[in-house]
Amino acid sequence: MADKLTQKNRMPEWITSPTSRALAALIVVFVLGLLFHAEGAFYKWGTHRDMLRAVSVYGILACGMTLVIITAGIDLSVGSVLALTAVLFALTTIHWQWPFWLAILFCLAVGGVCGGFSGYLIGRFRIQPFIATLAMMVFARGVAKWVSGGQKISTAVQQPDGTYQYVSVPDIFTLINAKIFGGNLTVVTVILLACILISWILLTRLRQGRYMLAIGGNEQAAVLSGVPVNPIKILAYGMAGLFSAVAGICQASQELQGDPEAGVAYELSAIAMVVIGGTSLQGGRGSLWLTLIGILTIGYLEKILSINAVGEDKRLMLTGVIIIAAVLLQKNK
Amino acid sequence: MKNGMILLIAVCLGLILFGGGCGKTESPEGEPGGRTIGMSQCNLGEPWRVQMNADVRRAAEAHPNLRVIFKDAQNDTLKQQAQMEEFISAGVDLIIISPKEAAPLTPVVAQAYAKGIPVLVLDRRVLGDQYTCFIGADNKKIGKAAGQWIVDTLGGQGKVVELKGLMTSTPGQDRHTGFREGIEGSDLEIIFEADMKWLEPNARKEMESALARFPQIDLVYAHNDPGAHGAYLAAKAAGREQDILFVGIDGLPQEGQAYVSQGVLAASFEYPTGGKEAIETALKILAGQPVEKEITLTSRVFTQDTIDQGGQRLTE
Amino acid sequence: MTMLLTMKDIYKSFGPVRVLEDVRFDLRPSEVHILAGENGAGKSTLMKILGGVYPDYSGTIELGQKPVRFKSVQDSAGGGISIIYQELSLVGSLSVYENIFLGRERHRFSWIERTGMKNEARRLLAELGLCMDVETAVEDLPIGQQQMVEIAKALSYQAHVIVMDEPTSALTEPEVKKLFEIIARLKQKGCGIVYISHKMEEIYQIADRITVLRDGRYIGTETAENLPADKLIHWMVGRQLNQQFPRHQSRLGDVRLDVSNLTVAGEAGNPIPLVDGVSLHVRAGEIVGLAGLQGSGNSQLLHGLFGTFGKRVSGSLKIDGRPVPITHPAGSIQRGLALLTNDRKSTGLVLGRDIVENASLACLPKFSPAGWLRPKAEKRAVSQTLQQLRLKAESLSQPVESLSGGNQQKVVLAKWIQTDPRVLLLDEPTRGVDVGAKQEIYELMNQWTQAGIAIILITSEMPELLAMSDRILVMHRGHITAEFESGQATQETILSAALGETTKGMRNTWRTN
Repeated sequence: MADKLTQKNRMPEWITSPTSRALAALIVVFVLGLLFHAEGAFYKWGTHRDMLRAVSVYGILACGMTLVIITAGIDLSVGSVLALTAVLFALTTIHWQWPFWLAILFCLAVGGVCGGFSGYLIGRFRIQPFIATLAMMVFARGVAKWVSGGQKISTAVQQPDGTYQYVSVPDIFTLINAKIFGGNLTVVTVILLACILISWILLTRLRQGRYMLAIGGNEQAAVLSGVPVNPIKILAYGMAGLFSAVAGICQASQELQGDPEAGVAYELSAIAMVVIGGTSLQGGRGSLWLTLIGILTIGYLEKILSINAVGEDKRLMLTGVIIIAAVLLQKNK
Repeated sequence: MKNGMILLIAVCLGLILFGGGCGKTESPEGEPGGRTIGMSQCNLGEPWRVQMNADVRRAAEAHPNLRVIFKDAQNDTLKQQAQMEEFISAGVDLIIISPKEAAPLTPVVAQAYAKGIPVLVLDRRVLGDQYTCFIGADNKKIGKAAGQWIVDTLGGQGKVVELKGLMTSTPGQDRHTGFREGIEGSDLEIIFEADMKWLEPNARKEMESALARFPQIDLVYAHNDPGAHGAYLAAKAAGREQDILFVGIDGLPQEGQAYVSQGVLAASFEYPTGGKEAIETALKILAGQPVEKEITLTSRVFTQDTIDQGGQRLTE
Repeated sequence: MTMLLTMKDIYKSFGPVRVLEDVRFDLRPSEVHILAGENGAGKSTLMKILGGVYPDYSGTIELGQKPVRFKSVQDSAGGGISIIYQELSLVGSLSVYENIFLGRERHRFSWIERTGMKNEARRLLAELGLCMDVETAVEDLPIGQQQMVEIAKALSYQAHVIVMDEPTSALTEPEVKKLFEIIARLKQKGCGIVYISHKMEEIYQIADRITVLRDGRYIGTETAENLPADKLIHWMVGRQLNQQFPRHQSRLGDVRLDVSNLTVAGEAGNPIPLVDGVSLHVRAGEIVGLAGLQGSGNSQLLHGLFGTFGKRVSGSLKIDGRPVPITHPAGSIQRGLALLTNDRKSTGLVLGRDIVENASLACLPKFSPAGWLRPKAEKRAVSQTLQQLRLKAESLSQPVESLSGGNQQKVVLAKWIQTDPRVLLLDEPTRGVDVGAKQEIYELMNQWTQAGIAIILITSEMPELLAMSDRILVMHRGHITAEFESGQATQETILSAALGETTKGMRNTWRTN
């Protein structure tokens, strides 16, 4: 009887599928943009390119967040790890003049270790993800402030006598901050797409991704089926940390500095993107395409509010309304 | 056993961090005849406040018999109250406080003042008059000066974007109203304004929107230097940075001043920390000399022409 | 005699799919009316219509003589109907009395009247012949007592019609007895009871009348005396099942699994071990039944062997004569052990994922050399196995939560068979599975033993245990108290051993090696 129930639902499948529900929210926002186009600004490709640039750092965090949420966890530390790696990237490239590849590897390693350690605490010691990553959020922020001395690490380098010397911007910053394809796309957006692709491969093409889905769906059943739960959790949180480091590198390159105060509350934006896409916070379900739709929905929403110069108060209210509306669309009727 | 190990590691880590963090500032009793100043900073999350502490430290280092104990209240009013009480019971010779909020910190400042400990209030005010001296700058005046400077520079007309700080904060409001007073009567047109919440990435986003909408922008006035820098980066990405002037506020050496000397900003208006003036005033008080109840700091403007001479003092 | 309840001409569709067609059902006061049928026959849908869960149906329902139409669960409860679903609807962290009065707390000036509610709860429980602490949290009670709380809750609503949907699926033998006593009391009070069950002996123990549904259609109603078991099964499945338990004993091989002195320590701080120094062996091709009441440690023994408890287990284990360590489930699977747990929903399946993913979960490395999944090979292997198990599903990419109980169980079985196990540990393999699927599972067990797999079987259905086991071990409080060869045991001897009585003539199973 139960199988008959779900066999043929009232509506054809393509309407009720999670992807089309998520798309519905995106389309609504997009249509809003077409209506409130701010003297044609919305019709220019540059606006869309800029939106993609602005949303890329958040989107990269959302990739890692998707993996973690699929294992029925949460990672609150992504914003802090972003700040830490942004500071370290600026420090190593500007102050210590490391070659760019070494600086990148170093930052990725730091991010991966931060995330992996959270995953270890969560798996091995059964600390709730919320608590473990909350601790990591505070800790990583502290390290970022300690390493930077509370100041932004920029091309203005303080000399022992208290004066400042201005050094040139490292090439890697310029490279990541550049535009390609005839100026039609930014490098950070390409990095975002690469991150989505990597997480998509991990989730759908690799055994480890299947295990993440199983753990999120029913951890006990996964354990009893021989799934190596702890290593997989370390992997999921480690990937979230790794993507935070990628986001940190992008953030530092775009700001031309490492700001220890960067990324505050970014984890909330990342979670919002994942959830608006339709990935369930209960775990076991979700996909990167849904997250991509969530990223675009939030990105367009912010862009449309921005080009219309909507005041901060109304922006916050509208964003709240849209999040609820998008999540309601996900609900089964 | 495993728990024991974890505890041990945690304790060790704690000792290292704690020892490393406190050892620097809280050295043992100074030499006889030395004077101790307690400095309570409301938070060290903003570079400007880090700079304030650095200015205090630098000014104090010139006087070997002066010892400054720094405390960071981490944006927590209650913590700052407790720190003040600690200073009082430790019997410091003078207290410098940069309060987080006026009303909740007024009683504890008054308490110290009543006990005969001189209290210097820095940057933000407390209520009443139960303190020794207030040192601060006037955001409204700085905003007005920026407005007038912009009117002069643009010849009285042009299209301007205003990137506001947090409009729920007093500095943001003052820098806004001061600016509007400064440009009153001119033909400047504010074509776009948005809250960027003091944050550089936000400023960049908002500026991108302004650029998409308006083919002609003559000047960007941002409520802080990172905001102006973010706007510059957006314009640079659009290839329009040469057509636009960028003006910011704060004038920290590593931010605003650096941007001006790199040719990024046309001007940065200093919002002085008062750190140096605080130590100067403190020395006067400790020497028994009279000081004014209220010292308003004069600001400087850094432009391409004046940056090498250390900026130009703003006149009333 | 007036009927308590009459349902006539009931039709119900989900979209284009008609799930009930011209169904009728009635209930007299003081009777137990069995609603029988295979999974998917429409029993639960019919009861959900009665319970107000599905308000859009066509047909008439009369309560007494009065036509009614329930638009909500509250409506139905107000009409004196109480439905006790398979999944109990209690709040685990709340106490017994709080659960009974949940949503209808008695209060005076919005102060909750605890004493009054407690006394009333005690009275209701006493009416059922029960004596329990009404302040205990429900989650601390055994599942059987939780069920009693649910029944007490129904009584507190003054329900005349009480529907029980497979109430005994999680109960032990004495708990079932207790439940039947309570049903008898309810009958005395004039209540009518609708009882849904798959267990034959249970049906004939309590049934007054039996109504059978098949594929959403009404097949017939008979008194229990006039509907013998073979006819009932015929009505249910639409075909004659010649043999209920078709065990073909296979030729026994060497000792496959040899366990000696296995001990599973109690939960942290509990000095009493769950399993205390148990030794046993199973030969290739043999089915060893492991009987025991709830709390006897038989389930824990299987989990202990399988490594679920990790380091809490001591003792030694040999598979095919080679000593192997007990580590964790992943290691056990590699060594040829497979454990089908007694609760497929919470420990067997990832309900939200599809059939293929569930069936391949335990042997995924096989389909992912170097970590890359080979979806085609995976799907091929899974569909082959599932064909052997005769799984009925729309498509392999449908989530397992949309399958019926029997088909879900087949997915779990497929998962374990894919790992090529040498020893199958089956904990309640036929729980919540309809008659047809049960038959198929028995058949599969025969096939597997013929292929040389050793099976340990736990089942709370005595006839199944007696018929399918080649040898039966009985556990009581973590010890093995008796061993019977096939054919020697009866329900009575097993039960007395399970209750801890050591009767003369039973072979002592403590082996000396």
